Amino acid sequence: MAARLLLRSAFRAATTCLYLLCDSDVCLRLALFCVTSGIPTDEEQATGLEKVILKATKEGKDPYSMLKPKEYAGTKADPHLVPSVTNKRIVGCEEDNTAVIWFWLHEGEAQRCPSCGSHYKLVPHELPH
Amino acid sequence: MAHQAHAYHMVDPSPWPLTGAISALLMTSGLATWWHYKTTTLLFLGTTLLLLTMFQWWRDIIRESTFQGHHSTPVQKGLRYGMVLFITSEVFFFIGFFWAFYHSSLAPAIELGGLWPPTGITPLDPFEVPLLNTAVLLASGVTVTWAHHTIMEGARKPALQSLTLTVLLGLYFTALQAMEYYEAPFTLADGVYGCTFFVATGFHGLHVIIGTTFLMVCLLRHTHYHFTSNHHFGFEAGAWYWHFVDVVWLFLYISIYWWGS
Repeated sequence: MAARLLLRSAFRAATTCLYLLCDSDVCLRLALFCVTSGIPTDEEQATGLEKVILKATKEGKDPYSMLKPKEYAGTKADPHLVPSVTNKRIVGCEEDNTAVIWFWLHEGEAQRCPSCGSHYKLVPHELPH
Repeated sequence: MAHQAHAYHMVDPSPWPLTGAISALLMTSGLATWWHYKTTTLLFLGTTLLLLTMFQWWRDIIRESTFQGHHSTPVQKGLRYGMVLFITSEVFFFIGFFWAFYHSSLAPAIELGGLWPPTGITPLDPFEVPLLNTAVLLASGVTVTWAHHTIMEGARKPALQSLTLTVLLGLYFTALQAMEYYEAPFTLADGVYGCTFFVATGFHGLHVIIGTTFLMVCLLRHTHYHFTSNHHFGFEAGAWYWHFVDVVWLFLYISIYWWGS
């Protein structure tokens, strides 16, 4: 009788241990989850201007002119392309001058720097709003 | 969102710079009236206004950044420069007090007995509580770096643990230092030794309290999911400030506690 009770409790203990072993896999995955996540990423949580810039950067665009302007030859065939949100923009030419030559660039045909003659052309620039 | 063609943040008009300036005026005049006329009204008003200003100004910055997304990369870069320059200014602030200490201790006046520590001063044993304080701050430097890495890796719970531990170590330092101040055999009034000791370590202790508060705010923000794994400059600024506090202590320990004993 005592032996049967002992066997029964031993069996119960053994099966509980087995259940615990199965649960430990879940416990391990849960622990890993806690240890490697829980903090949001910019992807998930960025908002406002930060989110707009993040999305645009992923698409390879630069709507807020955060990057250096692209390099152009400045010739008639390859003029400097100047983005603008309106129909004119001030340009400061540093190409072949000892000083910076400032002038208004208007939309339409490419203009030339009054000092060194580099070509500049206004292009419309889209803002995300 | 404002119609702008740049990535910078043109801040909305705010009353907090004005209230901050008013509190500075009230606190300085308050100190004068406290010392000369024994009334603390102005000082109390100024301090309250300062605390309100700090709370509301920084709350607005958190609103603008975390909740409105105004802190783009160039804006963050500006904030980084700002924090570095501020900490640099604080370094120069402490250089002044170290200058004062070395001026008086390298060539001790005849009135002090021509030696350092001056006659009659029993300095604190640098290998007792001051050494423990050094260990506490160095450990807190490790835990705050640990916290930074866990945030970058996106692990929320370890970040909570390491940041909490850093705050606890900071509080432990303050408690130990307060006890040392109470038990010290010399006071602020004990000549140039007492003056250089308590002014230098006192301002350092104030900076520890400021740093601990900064980290507590970071901990609170972290529990509210403000930080992302990539964008958490508030925390980085707090960590930089904490490392600065740690480095100042190391200089204090070597110069005043150890060499000066």
